[in-house]
Amino acid sequence: MAESPLVLTEVTKRYGSFTAVDRLSLDVPDGRIIGFLGPNGAGKSTSLRMALGVVPPDEGEVRLFGRAPDIASLKRVGFLPEERGLYKKMTARDTITHFARLKGLSAREARGRADELLETTGLGEFRSTRVSKLSKGMAQKVQILATLAHRPDFLILDEPFSGLDPVNQQGLEDLIRTEHARGATILFSTHVMEHAERLCDRIVMMARGRKVFDGTLADAFGKLDRGASLDVEEGFDLAAALLPKGFEAHRSAARGHGDAWRIALKPGQGPQDALRAAIEAGAPITGFAPDEARLRDVFVALVGDAEAARLDAAETEHALREGALAS
Amino acid sequence: MRNIFLIFRRDYLGYVKAWGFWLSLAAVPMFMGVGALFAAFAAQSSPVRYYAVIEPGHVYADAINAQFRHDEAEEQDQAEALSDTMQLPAQAGAPGNIKAIRERKFVEVPAPATDLDGLRPYLLGERTVAGPDGDKPLFAAFVLSSEGGELEYWSDDVNIQTLRYVARDAMRQLARDTALAGAGLSTDFIDTAEAGAVKVPARRIRSAEEQESAGAEVTLADRAPVFVAGGLAYFLWLMIFSIIQYLLMGTIEERSNKIFDTLLTSVRMRELLAGKLLAVFAVTSTMMLVWGMFALGGSAVLASRVPGAGSVLSPFMAAAMSPKILLPGLISFVLGYIMYGVIFMALGSLCDTIQEAQTLLSPMMILLMLPMFAIFIAFQDPGSRIVEIASWVPVFTPFLLILRMPHDPPLWEVLAQMGLMAVTMLAVLWVAVRVYRAGAVNGASIGDLGKMLKGMFRKRPAQSKSPARSL
Repeated sequence: MAESPLVLTEVTKRYGSFTAVDRLSLDVPDGRIIGFLGPNGAGKSTSLRMALGVVPPDEGEVRLFGRAPDIASLKRVGFLPEERGLYKKMTARDTITHFARLKGLSAREARGRADELLETTGLGEFRSTRVSKLSKGMAQKVQILATLAHRPDFLILDEPFSGLDPVNQQGLEDLIRTEHARGATILFSTHVMEHAERLCDRIVMMARGRKVFDGTLADAFGKLDRGASLDVEEGFDLAAALLPKGFEAHRSAARGHGDAWRIALKPGQGPQDALRAAIEAGAPITGFAPDEARLRDVFVALVGDAEAARLDAAETEHALREGALAS
Repeated sequence: MRNIFLIFRRDYLGYVKAWGFWLSLAAVPMFMGVGALFAAFAAQSSPVRYYAVIEPGHVYADAINAQFRHDEAEEQDQAEALSDTMQLPAQAGAPGNIKAIRERKFVEVPAPATDLDGLRPYLLGERTVAGPDGDKPLFAAFVLSSEGGELEYWSDDVNIQTLRYVARDAMRQLARDTALAGAGLSTDFIDTAEAGAVKVPARRIRSAEEQESAGAEVTLADRAPVFVAGGLAYFLWLMIFSIIQYLLMGTIEERSNKIFDTLLTSVRMRELLAGKLLAVFAVTSTMMLVWGMFALGGSAVLASRVPGAGSVLSPFMAAAMSPKILLPGLISFVLGYIMYGVIFMALGSLCDTIQEAQTLLSPMMILLMLPMFAIFIAFQDPGSRIVEIASWVPVFTPFLLILRMPHDPPLWEVLAQMGLMAVTMLAVLWVAVRVYRAGAVNGASIGDLGKMLKGMFRKRPAQSKSPARSL
């Protein structure tokens, strides 16, 4: 089994009396896309900075590629910090080249890689433009390219979608998938749940410095009381038909010439399983609608409405910025 | 090393590609050139001014003229003495190696009136008098008071006092001559007496063998080490003084660009600091080198015009290359540069804006002026007790140790001061790295400095597990 790129064991970080991260344990397996979710101030960025050795934890242990973070292990990592920053007077090409060289590429390799990345992302004509002259979105793309230039084994992206318009967000999602297909492990933080739903194999949810969930999307949705609606022709007893197959169904309403039934799913049962069971039981099905579960609902279920409101505020801010960027 | 080089390269190129760098590079030689031209122009463009003396005879006018001639002769003597000190070969056929620099700008003309009222229109520029430089108004007039006790100086321009001072000296000389004559002595008598005084020539004590080969004469080679040491100390001070803005502004730019997190996942903190310090050192060195080349070019031109100028430079070169000066000089230079450099860099990392940095500049300037005062004292009297004591204060040591070296301080003192300087540099580095990390990585501000320093020396609580190693 391949070595986990990152293992955090009971790490804690305090700033004075404020505990930013409280006994966080996390194992990032090789070759996965992991979403690190939570509202602003949940401790995501501090955790990522500890993972990289930028700030040391007050307690606990960080292992990056099996060792304490050092320059050798960090050479295999590409990091995009939340607070974007570039040398404003450097050109796009020089910026990517400089950071690639700091990660160990030769001057020739780094220049070649910078040209290749700029061309493939449509920034080729801006290669000699100073960062200060680029738009905010373009500058952010340059920083993302600088993060990828040395083909890292492990990408840590802190709020990578923030500040990007919807088109560029889609482009970044594609880029993340490409990097994943290349074999990179990806850990990214976000407070926008949709990105995680589309991209992640696994999610970790944080609230007030603590981990509140760690598992697959299916595990996450398993935390919700989920179900499905099934419409069958009038007179068919769906409850009796599904009971031997382990599903609970309740007639909820009459609908035209049929009946609407509500199926409560137990952990491990999916809506498709219920539909299959109904077909096998010979139910005359006229309609089927699985419940649409969202990660936000999982988050609410885990941390309550107050934390969810903070998440909503962050998402609203993000949506407003996105709208402004798109317009 | 590679990372240090990459950080160094980026920062160095960042600085030298900026317009400001080239402007400052060109500014010094340009201002020096313009200043020299201006000074020469000012000296030459000073107009010839007329003055008149109203007195019954011509005693006071003659005395003033004699004083002018005396001052000119004295200037000539000083120029020749300088020529001797520089060991310039005498020019065949020339009465002196260097001619008097100043041309007389005050010329006596016959008084166009016999009293002050009559002179008034000439002094106010309403009328002119004829003289060797054409028709001009009178610049000044001396009028002997009716009692004869004062020679009043009248002029419309009371700011230019040169003529009055010459007249004052002339009156003193006249009074002295009159008193001597009253005692039956002539001025020549005094001059003869002075000429017979026992001379006090300077001799350099050396070992018997050395004295046999080099003689006992005090030459430029004896004085050169002091000048070289003084130059080195001043150069170090100038270097540190000129890096402040680079270190402050550079660090503020990076802090405001939020680039530290990215950098610290690629390089170690010490590599980052070393690269930055080297870059700023290289930038100032480049400046000094270009200015030095400019000065060297000027010297080469001078050497081609003034015979013997080359022989003047060689003792200085020899002093600069002597291990006695060079070794402690280099060590002091490097340790001093790092010590001051990291202090400024750490403080810069706590500032978000240029305005904040400017509030730091005043205490920094005071900190830097202290060694400058010490350099002045040491240059005048390197053996003074104050300099000896001050050279043990690590922030002064880099400058004062260099200055003391030509005077052969005890070896144990030199080694102990170097050791103390090295230990202090390491301690400053230790603190500065932590302050820099707090500012650059954790966004601490100048207001947090006290808290930070207190925290550094507080014992940390025991940790449940070994923490991840900090970069």
